[in-house]
Amino acid sequence: MLRLAPGAKAWQRLYLLKPSVLPRALGGQALHLWSRLLSEQGPAETGGQGQPRGPGLPTRLLITALLGAGLGGAWLAMRAEKEQWRQQRRTEALRQAAVGQGDFSLLDHHGRARGKADFQGQWVLMYFGFTHCPDICPDELEKLVQVVQQLDTEPSLPPVQPVFITVDPERDDVTAMARYVRDFHPRLLGLTGSPEQVAQASRSYRVYYQVGPKDEDQDYIVDHSIAIYLLNPDGLFTDYYGRSSSAEQISDSVRQHMAAFHSVLP
Amino acid sequence: MAAPSMKERLACWEARDEYWKCLDENADDASRCKKIRSSFEASCPQLWIKYFDKRRDYLKFKEQFEAGQFQPSKTTAKS
Repeated sequence: MLRLAPGAKAWQRLYLLKPSVLPRALGGQALHLWSRLLSEQGPAETGGQGQPRGPGLPTRLLITALLGAGLGGAWLAMRAEKEQWRQQRRTEALRQAAVGQGDFSLLDHHGRARGKADFQGQWVLMYFGFTHCPDICPDELEKLVQVVQQLDTEPSLPPVQPVFITVDPERDDVTAMARYVRDFHPRLLGLTGSPEQVAQASRSYRVYYQVGPKDEDQDYIVDHSIAIYLLNPDGLFTDYYGRSSSAEQISDSVRQHMAAFHSVLP
Repeated sequence: MAAPSMKERLACWEARDEYWKCLDENADDASRCKKIRSSFEASCPQLWIKYFDKRRDYLKFKEQFEAGQFQPSKTTAKS
């Protein structure tokens, strides 16, 4: 009992406060309207026909309509809030992905350390391959460069950074990468690293690669998945293009992604 | 061993295309394309030659398959 006493007192105080607080609250005005409607209409009806006490039909309709509108409004507000909450969660998830997803730690063909964060704010077209590649890699890189050149001719578009990542770290050191990329495009950036770093980067982009058998010259071919990846300026994986996509198709797709882009980063 | 440069690569591809053209024109009779074959071999790394030989087989197969002309061998059909 003793312990309950302060609680009981508090309740009492709250009760005392109530009348003065309520009218100031948002619902206060509505409540006033309610009570006024009820008190004005009530006595008039009972005096007239001796019908059951209560508000008349127009009033009841009005009340129902108001109540309905209130409920509908509340539902709409809740839906909007839920949608907003969903959007916020999505943006948050995208932000986390923008930083964490597809990160790598490699060396460019000048020997500088490069991670995904270095490309933030840039559209990136990325291709995995190896410099001893007989035909497919040079073809795909040539296509990638064509896309970059096509987009470069449109001054309204932001420049695209072409990137070539090796899947053959054993042979493709910084020097080999430098010699290889200069034949394709002045902006093409070659990335290499230790076998572990390359494996990590490839895993991030779900790129498969497998070193083939070595011949008498210790030469070998690396079998690997073929895809050009598009990263948006937030660093988010946005699209990919296989061998069957033409340079024109890729350019069109990149243009569309550029037009639709909204950064999720703060 | 350094990878072929772009110039070397283009020379190799050109020699390859010459050789493939010769094979096409001679119903894949390699004995009639020996001279072109040796120039092809001189223009490309050895491993690329092997790769391109297999690649041609594959491309031929693909062509036949897509044209609906490919007949599985009897042993394959039975299994």
